[in-house]
Amino acid sequence: MPDHPDRHEHAPHAHPDRALRLGVCGPVGTGKSSLIALLCRELASSLGLAVVTNDIYTDEDARYLRSAGVLAPDRIRAVETGACPHTAIRDDITANLLAIEELEEQYDDLDLVMVESGGDNLTATFSPALVDAQVFVLDVAGGGDVARKGGPGIERADLLIVNKTDLAPYVGVDVAQMVTDATAVRADRPVIGLSRSDRASIDALLAWVRSVLDSHRAGTLVPRDPGPMARHVHAHQH
Amino acid sequence: MHPELMLMLLADARLPVAGHTQSGTAEAALANGLTAYDVPSYLRTRLRSVTLVEAGTAVVARHRAQVGEPLADVDVAWAARTPSGALRQSSRGQGRALRRLAERLWPDALAPVGELRTPSRAAVLGAVSGYLGLGSGSLARLVGYDDVQTVCAAVLKLAPLDPAVATGWVAGALPEIAALAAEVADLKTPDQIPAVGCPQIEAWAEAHAVTSRRLFRA
Repeated sequence: MPDHPDRHEHAPHAHPDRALRLGVCGPVGTGKSSLIALLCRELASSLGLAVVTNDIYTDEDARYLRSAGVLAPDRIRAVETGACPHTAIRDDITANLLAIEELEEQYDDLDLVMVESGGDNLTATFSPALVDAQVFVLDVAGGGDVARKGGPGIERADLLIVNKTDLAPYVGVDVAQMVTDATAVRADRPVIGLSRSDRASIDALLAWVRSVLDSHRAGTLVPRDPGPMARHVHAHQH
Repeated sequence: MHPELMLMLLADARLPVAGHTQSGTAEAALANGLTAYDVPSYLRTRLRSVTLVEAGTAVVARHRAQVGEPLADVDVAWAARTPSGALRQSSRGQGRALRRLAERLWPDALAPVGELRTPSRAAVLGAVSGYLGLGSGSLARLVGYDDVQTVCAAVLKLAPLDPAVATGWVAGALPEIAALAAEVADLKTPDQIPAVGCPQIEAWAEAHAVTSRRLFRA
């Protein structure tokens, strides 16, 4: 394979001078908005933040985040997707890019822009042209076997969150097994079992975000596409 | 490059300019009592009012861009003929999206709108079309056709029916699009841009802009 000439300098798509763009996607109801609210609460005192939401009906998520009072209302923007939440984060990302660029023009202190996808099915992931890194969110209430079933976001998002671990006893899910299953389909990519009542899990999430921000600023973060397609498996050795 | 191919490129819904976020005010119209049965007449009304203004503006912008004259007063003339702030804002958003694409593909095409901070879609499209060699008639037909397809595609999402019915509406509107193009293709100056409002569409657009239950931007 030919070596990319700039591989040893900045990654081809690195933009260390602008804010990190972090995507949050996953099925409806798994806790994407709460995850973003949590990050806002934890990070707002140390980082310049903004959020772009892509909900079904315009600003449901934006209103939730505004009412949570975790960020100035004007730093939370809603993008209409015309009933195409998948398109808006994947093949025509224009509306989202414009919203991010407007925020960047209006606020010169931004370190992190979070983009929340409209709750979609398991196949939806962000284009690497839209976000620098992405988090895929599952929850224990969706069933212990979802992680094992896999899919592009579960297998190859930069971080997989298994959310609401505090609910596990009530829905009959073995969290440790679910995290083990998820880790098995993700090779070495990280998995965090998260609960807002579990401080250690929140600290692990914050440490991950800060490490991604560090590599973004260093120009070494390469946005990767989890892809819509199944992993290519060679039927035979070449 | 053959202008017909450029026309196809610009008319294609797959052009990444966030076309999927637009309904041509159809979402608000359906929310306020328009039925799928009314869509053909809704298309005709648009082609004789708001879309005629947009097409006329685009044609004049194209002419100005080609002769190297400024576009600022073209955009002012468009704004004066577009009384709904929501429609102006929507058009400026689409103008920004198209400008973003053109910055990557045809940066020289944008010189005529360089002085405008938030040009209308018609101004940007006029400048780009002139640069790409589209004739004024082709440009006017593009504006009309895109409007019709935008409405019909959104209606298919909002009030689903056999898609062949919606494509039938588009086909049925083609003569009206041709008539629109004939009306504006020779315009050269801002004062010639048709001033035809449609208060009902404007009122719907205004109502849509303040609802919190939108699927489409406008």
